[in-house]
Amino acid sequence: MRNSFKVAKWEMKRNMKNKSFIISLFLTPILFIVFATIPTLLEKFNNDEQDSVNVYIKDELNSWTEMEKVLASLEVDWNVQITTEQEAKLLEELTEQENAAYIPLTEAALEEGRIQVYLSEDVDDTFIYQLSVLEGPLRQLQFQKLGLSAEEIEVLTKGVVFEEASVSEETDEAGMDHPVGEVGMENQLERIVPGATAGIVLFSIVITGMMIFQSASQEKKEKVAEIVLSSLTPEELMNGKIIGYFGLGMVQVFVWMLFAIPIITWFFEFPLFSYLFVPELLLLLFISFAGYLLFAAIFVGVGATVEDMTATSNFQGMVMMLPFLPAILIGPVLSNPSGLIAQIGSYFPLTSPAILLFRLSVLEEWPWLEIIISLVILVLSIWLFMKLAGKIFKTGILMYGKNATPQEIWKWIRQ
Amino acid sequence: MSGEIVLSVSQLGKSFKDKKIISDISFEVKKGEIMAILGPNGAGKSTTIRNIMGIMYPDEGSVTFAHYKSGSIPRHKIGYLPEERGLYKNVSIMDILMYFAELKDYPVAKAKKRALAYLSKFGLEGKEKTSIEELSKGMGQKVQFIASIIHEPELLILDEPFSGLDPVSQEVFKQEIKELANNGTAILLSSHQMNLVEELCDRLYMIHQGSKVVSGTLSEVKKEYANFKCTIHGDNEPALLEKIPNVLRIEQKGKQTILYLSAEMDIPKWVKQWPEGIQVEELSIDRTTLHEIFIQIATGTGTKEGVQDA
Repeated sequence: MRNSFKVAKWEMKRNMKNKSFIISLFLTPILFIVFATIPTLLEKFNNDEQDSVNVYIKDELNSWTEMEKVLASLEVDWNVQITTEQEAKLLEELTEQENAAYIPLTEAALEEGRIQVYLSEDVDDTFIYQLSVLEGPLRQLQFQKLGLSAEEIEVLTKGVVFEEASVSEETDEAGMDHPVGEVGMENQLERIVPGATAGIVLFSIVITGMMIFQSASQEKKEKVAEIVLSSLTPEELMNGKIIGYFGLGMVQVFVWMLFAIPIITWFFEFPLFSYLFVPELLLLLFISFAGYLLFAAIFVGVGATVEDMTATSNFQGMVMMLPFLPAILIGPVLSNPSGLIAQIGSYFPLTSPAILLFRLSVLEEWPWLEIIISLVILVLSIWLFMKLAGKIFKTGILMYGKNATPQEIWKWIRQ
Repeated sequence: MSGEIVLSVSQLGKSFKDKKIISDISFEVKKGEIMAILGPNGAGKSTTIRNIMGIMYPDEGSVTFAHYKSGSIPRHKIGYLPEERGLYKNVSIMDILMYFAELKDYPVAKAKKRALAYLSKFGLEGKEKTSIEELSKGMGQKVQFIASIIHEPELLILDEPFSGLDPVSQEVFKQEIKELANNGTAILLSSHQMNLVEELCDRLYMIHQGSKVVSGTLSEVKKEYANFKCTIHGDNEPALLEKIPNVLRIEQKGKQTILYLSAEMDIPKWVKQWPEGIQVEELSIDRTTLHEIFIQIATGTGTKEGVQDA
């Protein structure tokens, strides 16, 4: 094991000094930030450029003060002027203006339930949607005119909605002060945040794990394997590579987190840590690490059969696609996270880590039996894949001059 | 040479599927001795070496290093330069030498000192931060050689150390190998350059088709098994040449004829037995060289007398 750590240290040091690794390490989060913020900034810039809308209101109903309060919460950019001018004159003025609107709040319009809005040229399409928030206060006015009491008005404006509730939580929540929706969202975030973090960890370590393929292949191409194997066993070399690239993946995650945490915590004012550090995180991280070990075993084994990456046959190239296999199942799993496809995806070792992480992030109740079965299959698969990779690596890494054929690999496995 | 035995190989055998690659290979390498393992391509030299190094596992026989048996041999006491060799391309010379020293459990500070001393000795002074990919092939081979001896090994195994080297670099390597042996390192090397083997080695072990054909000290092999050969320049018919007695083999190219004779030949007596009519413009009689023994074995033209155990 000591020798494996020496190899791991070397692989990490070698890659950390590699310019392309350093560039991608810092460039990836920067690109993420750029792609995430540039559209928002551009939109903001676009909005800033647009002047505020001049809104002329004829307030026959004397209701504008109430409506202004509703509008304030929306942060709309209106320049409101209460007018008493003649409508015909006002409409004439409107034809000469840009980005202006006239809203006559009259008794007749309220009775009819239809308020005409006159727009000049260049008024943004969103203006008419913004107006919809005034529908509530106007409806209240209608009810008042009908002589309804305050309680009746409240019942009518509240309406009736359907709301999902868990049977088991009904009793627990009965005595709680929080609204049901708020608690549900908090519970959900306690799953989603650790799940997404474990997903990022899995993604990062599997991506760096792909470099094991290249590393094993390079060791053959550069004919350095035999010198290294004069100091340690093939198993130690293989394990060292797996540990080394795991470390490299974790360094990558750490750097990404350094970028992400301040942005999420301070810029978006999201309490990341309170949702992240929950006991469930340990299981989710275990699934990520197990996923890495599985793919690392495949990459290191197959990498030892390839000398020339450019001449790699479809068979070896396809191995690189394996981590993306869960993408096929994501649609059905998304629509039904407890369905049959989701269950099969959780049991099949190559899709199990990603599908499990996804399901455990969205399911309110964790299906513990399914989780245990999946993890047992996953751990047994890792053991089997490591054994096979060890057999392939031992012979493959010393075979110079050509890529191994599937027949040759089968022969090594049977040895 | 009566030094302490460092490496002992006993009845080593290895097969791939049904094909026997090496069989019954036995030899010893002593402290301060340079031992050559020779043979044509495919003879089984590298397989023998890989089995000694534990890179392959023998089907038969055993390897003993000092008092350690196969499977428990301390790899950090052995230096190895394989035939198929290379280095990581995008790292500096010093980084790679330190990595190999670390793999051999050698103290870093001491390794650094040794690395700088050897780089200077091999004309690579000031290049310790240079990336391997910037080096010429010869320079790269020097770095590989330093990597194999950085940890002061007790046994050094060099598989074709001179291949691809220019004469100047060959000389540098030769001197270094001699110096290491003088300082007590046991050295096992394989090579195709027979002149270098003759100059360097104390003993040799020649294999062909996986089995031993000749072994012993260089002087023993030369004295006992390097046959006489007689070179004649002149127009002579093959039928007439075949009448010359005690000739093991005849090679004729134009006017030049080489007669291969046994090692224990009484030359003056033999010359008197020649048939009449042999035309001689020039005549020379000498012993066959190690190079010729090697060629005879490689081409299968060797004689039983020429390739026996010393």
